[in-house]
Amino acid sequence: MFLDAVVRRRRFVVFAALCILALGVLTDQVRSPDKRRVGWIGVAVQAAVAPLATGLSRISDVVDREVAFVMEIGRLRTENARLTTEVARLREENARLHEAALEVARLRSLVGIKEQPYHTIAARVIGRDPSHWFNTLLVDRGAADGVRRNDPVITSDGLVGRVIETFGAWARVLLILDPRSAAGVLVGRSRDAGVAEGQGQPVLHVKYLSRDAEILPGDQVVTAGLGEIYPRGLPVGTVVGVSRTEGDLFQEALVRPGADLNHLEEMLILVGGGSQAAR
Amino acid sequence: MIRYLVYLPLVVAGLGFEMTWLARASIAGAVPDPLLIFVMTVGLLHGSEEGALVGAGVGLLQDITTGVPLGLAMLANMCVGFAAGLGERFIYIESTWLPLAGAFALSGLRVGVWALAAHLVGLLQGPIPEVARVVVAAACYNAIIAIPIFLGFRYLDGALVRFREASR
Repeated sequence: MFLDAVVRRRRFVVFAALCILALGVLTDQVRSPDKRRVGWIGVAVQAAVAPLATGLSRISDVVDREVAFVMEIGRLRTENARLTTEVARLREENARLHEAALEVARLRSLVGIKEQPYHTIAARVIGRDPSHWFNTLLVDRGAADGVRRNDPVITSDGLVGRVIETFGAWARVLLILDPRSAAGVLVGRSRDAGVAEGQGQPVLHVKYLSRDAEILPGDQVVTAGLGEIYPRGLPVGTVVGVSRTEGDLFQEALVRPGADLNHLEEMLILVGGGSQAAR
Repeated sequence: MIRYLVYLPLVVAGLGFEMTWLARASIAGAVPDPLLIFVMTVGLLHGSEEGALVGAGVGLLQDITTGVPLGLAMLANMCVGFAAGLGERFIYIESTWLPLAGAFALSGLRVGVWALAAHLVGLLQGPIPEVARVVVAAACYNAIIAIPIFLGFRYLDGALVRFREASR
């Protein structure tokens, strides 16, 4: 009798079983460290799709470059003159900063401050997460290049995120705007410490800032180096708003990331930048 | 079986396109999802049981390749395949507007289930109006691309079914 009912309603039984399976998988994922664990089958699937993504990404890069070349040809002459002046200025500034860096290194060795042991490697974006609320990127550098889980990723404009998966010649980067991301930061001239959390929106929410801290729109935000992942002093972004509700123990700041996270093409991975303990 | 051997490379190619070219074509937070049209086609042509199974499989592959916690797209696409299959007996499959209306409704269902599941497990804290905006944008976007993709998949599916019957 019961079996007859099950056979008659087989599609509903299959649907219920798949629902339970999907929710079970999701619950298991949420309890894992980065809220994502793919296992060896997942690595195999990604290894199958990544070369295709690399090829498609290269094609779109070539098309974008050619289109940009045709569109911008008139502007390039003016830009060239401006850049020549800029290069001269930057050469002079570079010489001064080089001297300053040598001086800092001498002073550090005198005081005994330990240098953070990491080097950078450049990586190109080959794939993006198309979902609206989660933000990850696939890049063309991986374990074969020395990239490891929790290595920080930056651009010249600021912090991008950290590596959460590496496999062969590819790695997946979790952007700081992703709801699964959080970083210890220092805000403004007062250097108040807080935690910058992504919420799947274009701005970061910096929580747990002291109520008495003087934080204003335009203040710069840098990594605090207190956690086990990001080194101290990486630029994160700029404060665009502060919310301070009567009765709250802390105030919260909204921070726009310095790096343009929606249009990333190239970035730098700080290999060895994340703590060994966090891997 | 031969149908799935042909479908698998198509799904892998679809995943590649979604991660690269289509991810750049975002409008109001929504990107086109040809694999949703594929799951809808399977549900409409082969019933809710096969629709749910194919939806769950395609969704799991999407979860793996796009970097989200596994299970979200699996659940959402499975609901899409099942819901499409429920209409198998009641819908006039030759209707010109079927893919457009079906893609609109099922895209809304997909994003809604996806956002609800993410919210239930504490992964999504976005405001409800924003979720509603993305649901509507995704539904409109997929409705626009639905007709050629649906007709293409339907033709391919029919050819594979005929091939299987001829080879018996």
